[in-house]
Amino acid sequence: MAAPLELSCWGGGWGLPSVHSDSLVVMAYAKFSGAPLKVNVIDNNWRGSRGDVPVLTTEDNTISQPAKILNFLRKQKYNADYELSAKQGADTLAYIALLEEKLLPAVLHTFWVESDNYFTVTKPWFASRMPFPLSLILPGRMSKGALNRILLTRGEPPFYHLREVEAQIYRDAKECLNLLSNRLGTSQFFFGDMPSTLDAYVFGFLAPLYKVRFPKVQLQEHLKQLSNLCRFCDDILNSYFRVSLGDLHVQKVKPRGPATTSVKFTVASSLYERLLALCQHLSPPHFPSALQYRSLFATRQ
Amino acid sequence: MSLVAEALVSQIAGKVPFIHVGNQVVSELGPIVQFVKAKGHSLSDGLDEVQKAEMKAYMELVNNMLLTAELYLQWCDDATVGEITHARYGSPYPWPLNHILAYQKQWEVKRKMKAIGWGNKTLDQVLEDVDQCCQALSQRLGTQPYFFNKQPTELDALVFGHLYTILTTQMTNDELSEKVKNYSNLLAFCRRIEQHYFGKGSSSIRLS
Repeated sequence: MAAPLELSCWGGGWGLPSVHSDSLVVMAYAKFSGAPLKVNVIDNNWRGSRGDVPVLTTEDNTISQPAKILNFLRKQKYNADYELSAKQGADTLAYIALLEEKLLPAVLHTFWVESDNYFTVTKPWFASRMPFPLSLILPGRMSKGALNRILLTRGEPPFYHLREVEAQIYRDAKECLNLLSNRLGTSQFFFGDMPSTLDAYVFGFLAPLYKVRFPKVQLQEHLKQLSNLCRFCDDILNSYFRVSLGDLHVQKVKPRGPATTSVKFTVASSLYERLLALCQHLSPPHFPSALQYRSLFATRQ
Repeated sequence: MSLVAEALVSQIAGKVPFIHVGNQVVSELGPIVQFVKAKGHSLSDGLDEVQKAEMKAYMELVNNMLLTAELYLQWCDDATVGEITHARYGSPYPWPLNHILAYQKQWEVKRKMKAIGWGNKTLDQVLEDVDQCCQALSQRLGTQPYFFNKQPTELDALVFGHLYTILTTQMTNDELSEKVKNYSNLLAFCRRIEQHYFGKGSSSIRLS
């Protein structure tokens, strides 16, 4: 029997299995390659601030960073790229570099640096998944880490100024989105009919930008105009992340504290599905989606 | 378009290259390419949208991997820093400015490496990344003379600039240039451009 693979990552919301890009990349790749992952949504997490989430735990190892996790999964024969040619493999590397250089700074800015977005959406969301007093400290650290990354990679030393780079990073991100849209065209995935590593990365970077509701939305508005990219995200969500009892293992581990216990219930699947549909209808847009409620009710035996 | 290609040979040094046109000064590859394009010369006009996307993606790959690896080797590898980089960087300045500026630059580069997740990488891991990047470039180039078949583009200029510098700059260890030399089509590519556009009778790229 294969050793169990456990993935610890940030949880979901707004219809996504995770709102964190790196976590989403790994989850999507696991779905595409058929790797059996047990997903643990972690709430109290010192590692988050040091950029260690997502983390894959096996019997012998602990692996962090999406690139290393994906490499490990490939070595375990869960390979979503086996049908790609050498040139397509090279293209994958190049497009991932494009995403990291051109799109990531603006995504980080939208989530973590733009004050309206950070204070009304990002900070409350992450703080609600951390115990006190971490909830006061960690979100700020993550925000600072994001700002640092933007300034150090795009700013001019020695006086790094955000204002100088803001316009440039959004211009680059929009250009990157246009390039991705041109490359995808009318195909279902980037390399034909089967999803591969590149699809996982693009999905991981685009889906949170597409789905999370922010006050300041310039990049999101641009993305929504590129209908093939939106269709790409929706297709993957519907085909691979449709929330059903048989599919995803989600076990919510709450931190030890005054009023918390880890909660597992098992209900009959038809009753559960009906309850889930009702919750999805009722959950307002700026609160996390029914995935939260689902984790309270179900676990697979 | 030897203007763009020539300018790339010293790209590693930061704000260089720059071009001086009339009373305008334009520095770094991206703005230079835009400037030249505005004057009516562009290498990538013949490419379709998908090819342009590919070209931009490969240029980012080179920036992401090769440029970062070069910076790492120059500033984070103790042997190279001590023997070559410190002295070279501080050489235009009098004491104590030469030491202060060199240390400051080293500190800035280390900060940047940490921010992008290269802070904990060992030299071997960095060389492996370079190998992966060269492999991707080699596979993309294949047996063609240039990356987009018959005509050179901005990507060819960028790749030539980096590879030529790696192959011809003497460092404390030659592992970086050895990685590139493993790919014969990349070597042939560099020699071809050197001889065609820089008019050198014999190549200054040594094989060993």
